[in-house]
Amino acid sequence: MYLFIHLCLYSLLLTLYSCRGDEVVYPTIGTHVTDEVREGGLYVLCEGNMGSNKARLDYMNLHSGEYYANWYGSQNPHQLKELGDVGNDIQAYGGRLYAVINCSHKVEVMDRQARHIGQVDIPNCRYLAFKGNKAYVSAYVGSVATPEMLGSVFEVDTATLEITREVKVGHQPDEICIVGETLYAVNSGGYFTNRHDSTVSVIELGGFTETKKITVGSNPQRIRADQSGKLWVCTEQGIAIIEEERVTRRIDAKASNISIYGSTAYIIDSESHLLRAFSTIDFTEQEQHIDISGYEHPYGLLATNDVIYITDAKNYVSSGVLHCYGYDGKEHWSARTGDIPGHLCRVSGAYELHPDTTKPDSTKTCSPYISRVYEYMPAMGQFVNVLPKYEEGDDAEAMCRKCEQAIANNAGGMICLGGWGGYITFGFDHTVENKEGYDLRILGNAFLMSGNETYGSSEPGIVLVSRDENKNGLPDDEWYELKGSLYDNPATKHHVSKTYTRESDTIRNPFHQQPYYPQWIEAESITFTGALLPPTTENISGQNVQRILDFGYADNKPNSDKEGTSFDISWAVDADGQSVSLPCIDFVRIYTAVDEAYEGTGELSTEVSGAIDLHME
Amino acid sequence: MALSAHSVIAESETERDSLYSDFRIEEVEVTARSLTKDIIVPQRLKGAELERLNALSVADALRYFSGVQLKDYGGVGGIKTINVRSMGSQHTAVYYNGVQLGNAQNGQVDLGRFSLDNMEEIQLFNGQKSDIFQSAREFGAAGNVYLTTRKPYFKPGERAHVHGKMRFGSFGLANPNVGFDVKLTETMSLTFDAEYVYSNGKYPFRYRRVLPNGETAYDTTAVRQNGDVNAVRAELGIHHYYRTTGFWRVHAYNYYSERGVPGAIVNNVWRNGERLWDRNTFVQAQWQDEWFGRWSTRLLTKYANDYTHYKNNDVRLLPADNEYTQQEVYLSLANKVQVFNWWDFSVAYDFQFNDLHRCNLLSDTVPEYFKRYSHWLSAATAFNIKEYLRIQASVLMTAVDNNKPRVTPGLFLSFRPYPVIDLSLNVFYKQSYRYPTFNDLYYTDLGNANLRPELARQHSIEVAYRKATKMYDIAVTASYYYNRVTDKIIAYPKGQQFRWTMLNLGEVKIHGMDAKADMSFNLPLRFVLRGRLNYTYQKAIDVTNPNDTYYCHQIPYIPWHSGSVVVGLDWQSKRGDHYGLNYSFIYVGERYSQQENIIYNYVQPWYTHDMSIYGEWGIKRWWLKANLEINNMLGQDYEVIQNYPMPKQNIRCTLAVRY
Repeated sequence: MYLFIHLCLYSLLLTLYSCRGDEVVYPTIGTHVTDEVREGGLYVLCEGNMGSNKARLDYMNLHSGEYYANWYGSQNPHQLKELGDVGNDIQAYGGRLYAVINCSHKVEVMDRQARHIGQVDIPNCRYLAFKGNKAYVSAYVGSVATPEMLGSVFEVDTATLEITREVKVGHQPDEICIVGETLYAVNSGGYFTNRHDSTVSVIELGGFTETKKITVGSNPQRIRADQSGKLWVCTEQGIAIIEEERVTRRIDAKASNISIYGSTAYIIDSESHLLRAFSTIDFTEQEQHIDISGYEHPYGLLATNDVIYITDAKNYVSSGVLHCYGYDGKEHWSARTGDIPGHLCRVSGAYELHPDTTKPDSTKTCSPYISRVYEYMPAMGQFVNVLPKYEEGDDAEAMCRKCEQAIANNAGGMICLGGWGGYITFGFDHTVENKEGYDLRILGNAFLMSGNETYGSSEPGIVLVSRDENKNGLPDDEWYELKGSLYDNPATKHHVSKTYTRESDTIRNPFHQQPYYPQWIEAESITFTGALLPPTTENISGQNVQRILDFGYADNKPNSDKEGTSFDISWAVDADGQSVSLPCIDFVRIYTAVDEAYEGTGELSTEVSGAIDLHME
Repeated sequence: MALSAHSVIAESETERDSLYSDFRIEEVEVTARSLTKDIIVPQRLKGAELERLNALSVADALRYFSGVQLKDYGGVGGIKTINVRSMGSQHTAVYYNGVQLGNAQNGQVDLGRFSLDNMEEIQLFNGQKSDIFQSAREFGAAGNVYLTTRKPYFKPGERAHVHGKMRFGSFGLANPNVGFDVKLTETMSLTFDAEYVYSNGKYPFRYRRVLPNGETAYDTTAVRQNGDVNAVRAELGIHHYYRTTGFWRVHAYNYYSERGVPGAIVNNVWRNGERLWDRNTFVQAQWQDEWFGRWSTRLLTKYANDYTHYKNNDVRLLPADNEYTQQEVYLSLANKVQVFNWWDFSVAYDFQFNDLHRCNLLSDTVPEYFKRYSHWLSAATAFNIKEYLRIQASVLMTAVDNNKPRVTPGLFLSFRPYPVIDLSLNVFYKQSYRYPTFNDLYYTDLGNANLRPELARQHSIEVAYRKATKMYDIAVTASYYYNRVTDKIIAYPKGQQFRWTMLNLGEVKIHGMDAKADMSFNLPLRFVLRGRLNYTYQKAIDVTNPNDTYYCHQIPYIPWHSGSVVVGLDWQSKRGDHYGLNYSFIYVGERYSQQENIIYNYVQPWYTHDMSIYGEWGIKRWWLKANLEINNMLGQDYEVIQNYPMPKQNIRCTLAVRY
């Protein structure tokens, strides 16, 4: 009996000591892997095995030398079942990151810091390419599965994240590549182990139809364009070079991976498991110094201007290793990754972890001041690239952070929206309620002529507000204009658009010699749409001054005029001018509403130096 | 006096003995004979004890054994396999009425498909069965699970029995069972048992994660989809006993099922489209007799025909529609000679033929066909030195196709120092091979025809003690073992992406400790209190290569600590009705889902509390039983295998009648 009691007690103790707890999402902690300081960062997408749900996005901060495992998980702890099952591709484009999660049948769309923005559901999706404001995604199945088991390439609008077009290609398309107005997709035929596909589909982006198929060799999996637009296709019969839509040359090397930088194509030879290099000019093999013969399974590869990154996937079911080499063969550093580190993507910004998740105790105290800048897209202007200052390597995300430094949390700085249309989008750490009377104040740099109430420096900006209706924390919901005093003026033009191009950025005034076109924007042109107010400038005693507008515009009245800088959410109207009643708002957008430029003073541009929730003050 | 199952003498029964013994435990007399006649003490669950457990299938019952890890993919239809002492599920052989259940395709026997309704006894032997009078192949596995179906029992004057059972439960479970036993002649009887199982498999599960500050990261509840199962089982057996020594029996088994494969729950995927159809049919016959009082002969034969159809209906994935047909022909001849009263000697020869047709219904390629011939030859001896020492030694030669025959020895010692105290020390060493399956050898793009068999070496030492009085009966066993598995067959990536192959790469060292106790106490007022405790510690580490990041790490899904507690209270009324309450607790400690013991692979412990309450009534020649089970009472959200959520609270209600 005693024995029985003892055993019972023991088992009771055992259970008490090793109880199941909550499943905690722990934020990643950076591991310092190198003292080397470089620009930007490197994302590492680890595939994880099918069914394990262990696709993992790691981040190497090349500036601090710290490697962050499970960066995505830390940035997005609220994502149900994390990043997903089998990561297959990652690319940065237009201020965002896109990751293909193959067995979760989705493309995950993130900001440059890997914070979730949205997702595009595409069945069995494989690889990405971009052009203009469209993303292209190859997928093993189309939206309608066919008995021939042909795959598709989908076109996705990067603004709405909606599929706009689809084209059927060959069997199990893998990598895709865009040269000019043509998209090339390799048809791997990976489902047919004994008789693979051997073609590359050629798709004209205009009509989005397959115009021809080029036979390249069995089981093509990778396709990359070199500097001169020649395509390198890795097949089981070696590398096929495509020029002018036909195979002009073959290189006798079977490559499991390829990365082209400058005039050199680096490959991982799938037979010898060694790194090899070929000239993209004369296709001869180049001497190279990096020795990867000690790898268990070389896998991911990325050649950059200064270093080359190669991963070792080990036995596929345990952590891999990311190695960084100089081209002289010297290993700079290595870091332990997740399972099957397959896909690498270098970005210009170097990010710190989002504070929300690292802080063990986030006792929230709401601030009356804005806390976050979501978008900063100025139109061309003399203060653009200055307020805030653009530095080499900054991307849109980095510029938003600089705006935050200037104007968020009552910082007292100022940013400039440039000419007509240029805008900024910001928010608070809470939802702003629409109560009786004014709800918001927006600060700028307007001032009055001394001794005059009617004229001064007014560079009016139209204010838009939005509610986070889809609850994703991002300003991608419907916008409502706060109706200002000139809204119903017949001279006000609604629904106007204007395009600025990099080419047209030629005029400089003597005080501002920097480029006026926003330098972090990769696209060659930017188009803005919105309302255009009639000119307000008058020449009074040789000075260009503006008539101060009655109400409802940012940067119109001086900050000392509390009422004149305040706004009521009840002014909101929809696109048709119908009044809407919003109980609260989450985002505010301001854009320059006038299009006037004068010699000497340059263009009128709205400046913003902060905003305040009047109910919190 | 009625007592529990474990108080039944555990001697190596011959079929002859068991004919006259009783399958209704309540009626078994306790004998004062010792349990340590067994040189290898099996763990067993039998008759009423089996019925009292909250268990639907054999797999559920095996959770109450020590040293056993169950892999359970959840739900009535989810695959359930066991791994004995961490050597891998393919090192465990499962025998149905003495003949091994085979699956030459993947070597796994899904124990979730074997119902407890027709089961009389489940035994687990580490190493091998005590009795040397066994077929050659039985010497070949590292762990052995013996399933014995119900045998008919007739009181004088009885000619037939019928029984029926209806079970309902959560997730749409409907499980009727009918059967009958007929006494054809004084020495020949026939039994029939049939069962249908349906479950829609739609159980709710919940995923919840929190941030370090306690704030909820996410919390979602969904319903498991595509987990339905429809299964029919029918069995027919004929037993004939003749003279005083001979007997033969024939057993036919047929099982058919259709089920959904619910699949892993991963981000953005909450439903899976795989379906599976199975048919398992076998007929087995056994004949045995004894000559000159010293020579026993047993002949076993079996023909099995199994059909599996797998289809993936998920249009997003690789379409698959495959049929597999397997056949097995088995023949075994065993002879045992009792040279002296203290010395037995046996020789056995087994032959087996397996084949597999694999047909891809989506392609016009010719079906693939594989076959295999296996031969086993065993010699074993057992002798006793006085009452103190019992020794059993065996040697087995295995020849598969044209591969080099391999020889594996086994040595078992049982030392009993005191004639009056039931204390014994049991030691064994055994080698056994696990042969590559058809999948390992020939699977498209993955198989490797050059595989060698995987070798397990077991060293085990055990102390067993038992004391039985009129008031109580306690049996306690503690064992320590050291196993080593070499040439482990594992999947390893080939040079190219997404290609795998099977290799003899891997070595595992296992240090384990099992402790178990079985006890029953006769309390006043006809109450009986029973307890069953199991605890297992296992350190199973990968020692393949010191350069691996997981070198010396615990192998996947083996917890360091696991155990179970079963406590039951029975009460018998004056007119013989029984009422009982049973509580069981199962604990599986922390473990890792992959080779590396890192936080990303960590799997939390799980433990479930189950409870059942039952009553049994005898009314003239009718016998009635009602049973209500509540499983996972506290509704723990857990996973045995990562991304395969298990059911929360669920209930089962059973009504049984027998005439």
